[in-house]
Amino acid sequence: MNFSLTDEQQAYKEKVIEFAQNELNTSYTERDRDSVFSREDWEKCAKFGLQGLATPTAYGGSADEVNILTATVAMEGFGYGCKDNGLAFGLNAQMWTVQFPIAQFGTESQKKKFLPKLAAGTWIGCHALTEPNAGSDVYSMETTATKVDGGYILNGSKRYITFAPISDVVLVFVKTNPKLGKWGMSAFLVEKGMEGFTAGLNRPKMGLRTVPFGDLFFEDCFVPDENLLGKEGAGWAITNSSLEHDRCTILAGQLGAMEYQLEETIKFVKDRKQFGQAISQFQSVSNRIANMKLRIETSRLLLYKVAWLKSQGASTMMESALLKLHLSESFVDSSLDAIRNHGGHGYLSENEIERNLRDAVGGVIYAGTSDIQRNIISKLLGL
Amino acid sequence: MEEKIVAFVNDQISSNQTDEKIEAQDDLLGGGILDSLGMMRLISFIETEFGIKVPPEDMTIENFINIETITGYISSK
Repeated sequence: MNFSLTDEQQAYKEKVIEFAQNELNTSYTERDRDSVFSREDWEKCAKFGLQGLATPTAYGGSADEVNILTATVAMEGFGYGCKDNGLAFGLNAQMWTVQFPIAQFGTESQKKKFLPKLAAGTWIGCHALTEPNAGSDVYSMETTATKVDGGYILNGSKRYITFAPISDVVLVFVKTNPKLGKWGMSAFLVEKGMEGFTAGLNRPKMGLRTVPFGDLFFEDCFVPDENLLGKEGAGWAITNSSLEHDRCTILAGQLGAMEYQLEETIKFVKDRKQFGQAISQFQSVSNRIANMKLRIETSRLLLYKVAWLKSQGASTMMESALLKLHLSESFVDSSLDAIRNHGGHGYLSENEIERNLRDAVGGVIYAGTSDIQRNIISKLLGL
Repeated sequence: MEEKIVAFVNDQISSNQTDEKIEAQDDLLGGGILDSLGMMRLISFIETEFGIKVPPEDMTIENFINIETITGYISSK
């Protein structure tokens, strides 16, 4: 088995790290404190070509075909180089749950209309699935679309949607045939300004504060036929496919963050002296470092395996669930270990150690909670 | 082909709590026999067993509502 990256992938990863370190790491501590998104950094990422990784060149993207392995490696580098975890999270959310499904399921006219603007960073898109009464049990959603002449009338609301307050286009999932349960779910592209569609304000949260987050409301909102994505009833296949890709790359950014987190923690414990010696000499401290390293290596193995399987077009039900569970929980555990090793220094916001812990907690909830991942794993084992 | 799929659904993935076995015309989706994970496992089984690729755009109710439509879909590939 060969787990090494190609020269081309390694070179691209290093280029992404260099870009992120040199162009992006400004004002993120203040924006984290004030819950402010940087449109400027978003546009820099688009100019560099990151959003383009999820879009074919014919529609403004950066490759003839979307390459999930290259994108995963790039996002690992991005997470390592960019301290703004919210930006990495937001990029992945748009790339894999908005751009990718449009590229995969969209008509020629939908691809031409939406993808170039999303890849260029001039438009922002969001994926709207969760509802007030449909979280982990997402297919019990209540938002509906009723067929009328020339289109559909949407009614209902969505909750906890990344980029909801500032999106130009929303990929929203609704029931077109409630009698069929999850099989009667369809996807629509709703554009800002459509009558009956409104977005709520940014909702403050524990972590990932630099990416806006909020609710969407549809009240007798008319959406034309040409904005139906895929066939009527294709909603399940669309969201299933896009979330599998999202789980892979969204966690790549977290892995990158865990890598710089370990480097910074090692440097601190070697420099910090107590009882006449570096605290790295105390086993309680060094054991935590060893655990952080082990989590990175096991997470990377799972991540690269899923990315490789996806690049081969293989199904990754078990592997994706193991990856999502392990990597997200590892980031929480390692962020806590980093704080413990930094002591009081790590607890102060101004030193930027505690921010990773706040950002990591979201990972055990979004895109399928850890509890749901365990359910999937145990069910696949025949329980 | 039909017998293999019926056996797989009955033995491996049916969420039916009764001892009643499913038949080729039974509604797998609306009837609650398959949940979304069961559907993914069935697709994985079909890909391995019959050597075809089921792209996401083909995962629709028209193709997977019952075992008859599934065998028709596989034959068309």
